[in-house]
Amino acid sequence: MKLKKQRSASRVGAVVLNTEKENSRNGLTAVVLSFLVFSMIGLAYASEPLYRIFCQVTGYGGTTRIAVFDNKSSVAENSITVRFDANVNKLLPWRFKPMQNKIILKPGEQAMAFYEATNVSDKPIVGTAVFNVAPFKVGEYFNKIECFCFTEQVLLPGQTVQMPVTFFVDSSIVEDRNTKEVNTITLSYTFYASDDQSEAENLSKISLKMKKSINNPGETQIIQPG
Amino acid sequence: MSDITHDHHDHRPSGWKRWAYSTNHKDIGTMYLVLSMVAAIIGGAASILMRAELHEPGIQFITDPQFYNVLVTAHGFIMVFFVVMPALIGGFGNWFIPLMIGTPDMAFPRMNNVSFWLVAAALILLVIAGFIDGGAGTGWTVYPPLSSADYHPGMAVDFGILALHLAGASSILGAINFITTIINMRAPGMTFHRMPLFIWAMLLTAFLLLLAIPVLAGALTMLLTDRNFGTAFFAPDGGGDPVLWQHLFWFFGHPEVYIMILPAFGIISEIVSTFSKKPIFGYLGMAYAMTSIGVVGFVVWAHHMYTMGFNVETRAYFTLATMVIAVPTGIKIFSWLATMWGGSIKFDTPMLYSMGFIFLFVVGGVTGVTLANAGVDMAFHDTYFVVAHFHYVLSISALFSMYAGFYYWLGKMSGKRYPEWLGRLQFWVTFVGVNLLFFPQHFAGMAGMPRRIIDYPDAYAGWNMVSSWGAYVSAVGGILFFVVLYKTLTSNVKADANEWGVGATTLEWTVDSPAPFHTHEVTPNVAPEPAE
Repeated sequence: MKLKKQRSASRVGAVVLNTEKENSRNGLTAVVLSFLVFSMIGLAYASEPLYRIFCQVTGYGGTTRIAVFDNKSSVAENSITVRFDANVNKLLPWRFKPMQNKIILKPGEQAMAFYEATNVSDKPIVGTAVFNVAPFKVGEYFNKIECFCFTEQVLLPGQTVQMPVTFFVDSSIVEDRNTKEVNTITLSYTFYASDDQSEAENLSKISLKMKKSINNPGETQIIQPG
Repeated sequence: MSDITHDHHDHRPSGWKRWAYSTNHKDIGTMYLVLSMVAAIIGGAASILMRAELHEPGIQFITDPQFYNVLVTAHGFIMVFFVVMPALIGGFGNWFIPLMIGTPDMAFPRMNNVSFWLVAAALILLVIAGFIDGGAGTGWTVYPPLSSADYHPGMAVDFGILALHLAGASSILGAINFITTIINMRAPGMTFHRMPLFIWAMLLTAFLLLLAIPVLAGALTMLLTDRNFGTAFFAPDGGGDPVLWQHLFWFFGHPEVYIMILPAFGIISEIVSTFSKKPIFGYLGMAYAMTSIGVVGFVVWAHHMYTMGFNVETRAYFTLATMVIAVPTGIKIFSWLATMWGGSIKFDTPMLYSMGFIFLFVVGGVTGVTLANAGVDMAFHDTYFVVAHFHYVLSISALFSMYAGFYYWLGKMSGKRYPEWLGRLQFWVTFVGVNLLFFPQHFAGMAGMPRRIIDYPDAYAGWNMVSSWGAYVSAVGGILFFVVLYKTLTSNVKADANEWGVGATTLEWTVDSPAPFHTHEVTPNVAPEPAE
């Protein structure tokens, strides 16, 4: 019995010595591994802005370009059809449609299209449009010069606005072997209720004060480009 | 005095404290295995309910289609996070990593305890998620906008997110523990190139967990704040993009399938070698095949997203990268076959399950190469063909490796010998059952039957009935497993320290059965012997 105790005591001692050395090494390993974990979480969050920048730079996923039109740019020979599509999120009580179904133009030419939106509810609402083009691969060639989608839109109750978009298709679309067979591009917008409705709330306060004065809602207005 | 009569007197806490406060790798491993069995009953019940509902066209007894969606979701989550991962990683990993590398316990025993109780809490939260506010019916992929506040306004999805957060934290802590243990605490002489393949598999799995789970945690947090705090990571109306979720989810999700199957590779390698009475063929090739599967697994995620509109170059890349994985996987299959070749094979239950695993994994692997083609996937996406594929390649493959490992190590864990004939019967019932269950789903899928829907046109009735019958047979196999377990634990047949004989060469067979509470009191030395 006594002998056994001694043996186990010496064994425990050996284990303790061993463990102290091991512990610091284990701690270091754990710290390094934790660093790995936190950098992966960071990467997950960084992916959101990185993905956005990546799409804007490459036109990935049908992200269109914002551009200034250059008169000297070349114009391709074959025409291309641009179709217009409009959608409204079900939570936004607006009517939204394109004023023309399609525009036929040559790549390199500038064109203007109109969309019409009506607020069918009884209160002012701020809407914001998201957009892309299909097929996705032409995103990098589809340039918008001016667009209602660049800013938020406020519509009073019953108000109808016509909203322009000016754009051109880069003529180098016909030189890219991946896109030269494309003869139809669909430009699509979806209107959502904006998260920030403060402007609409201000307006509804003002309109309550003014009580149907200067602007007669229900009359169609045109938002001037530029 | 018992001190004298028992040579190995183990000081251990008794009663509930032994388990609740446990820092012992074997007890924690046992708790993980029990948790996995409990979860398997819940997840299995969900799948039987679904198959019973799909037995015939029309809506039979699940009157609320959302409840069917909840079953699909719960089945997926429970099977992945609370059955396969706890059994293969938490269960067998905790039990056998210290035993196989010749160390007394894990590097951080108390953290090990935290890992287990986190996953236990997570399971409870996930079950709650199935029952409150109509339940979470998002599928295990939780794609927004379906998972957004617009379509799942209740708290169910939030509970599910919290459950996954806890399970993820548990996995990360466990992974840190595993890696630290394996890197720092191997017995003298056990170099990286002399570790058992099971240890290689667990090390790689832990690294995959460490790199993949934080991405899921990040994505889930974004979803949580989108749902509750007005952020718009995945909401287009706020400038977000639901596709970002798909990228983040699958950046986690694809490595996740390797997290489930790499431990299986490890277990199968040990068993095939043991029962062929030969060292594993091409040891280094096997180790580095697993490594390359793990590495390449991080750059193929978008093959789950072929239909969301990538350009042709992107799809070509992901098709190619996905197919590359077939090469190391092929190395593993052929090395297992080469290990068996010319071996003196003993067809005990673990070996039957291992060979069953190889068969099922090859079937699932072949349909995997089919689905890797972006063009083909356009037609097969979200059909039962995909369901058949992933159940073959990871679900029932992982299940077979769990059964194989369980029979292989049951003697070591319990000290009792399982009844061999009952084990073999259980294998054959399960093998017939799962093939009857999933093989017909290939045909239903090729005919275009969509997945995750409670009802289907009459045209798919035949194969669905066969599939449902297969599910019932598999369930009988599951019940038989618990019979085997009961018979083993109550039997008087003691298992030898090394019950498998000359083929079993790893260190866990050098300690008694059942493995004493404290093992490797004398550190084994596995320095290379002179060449034989």
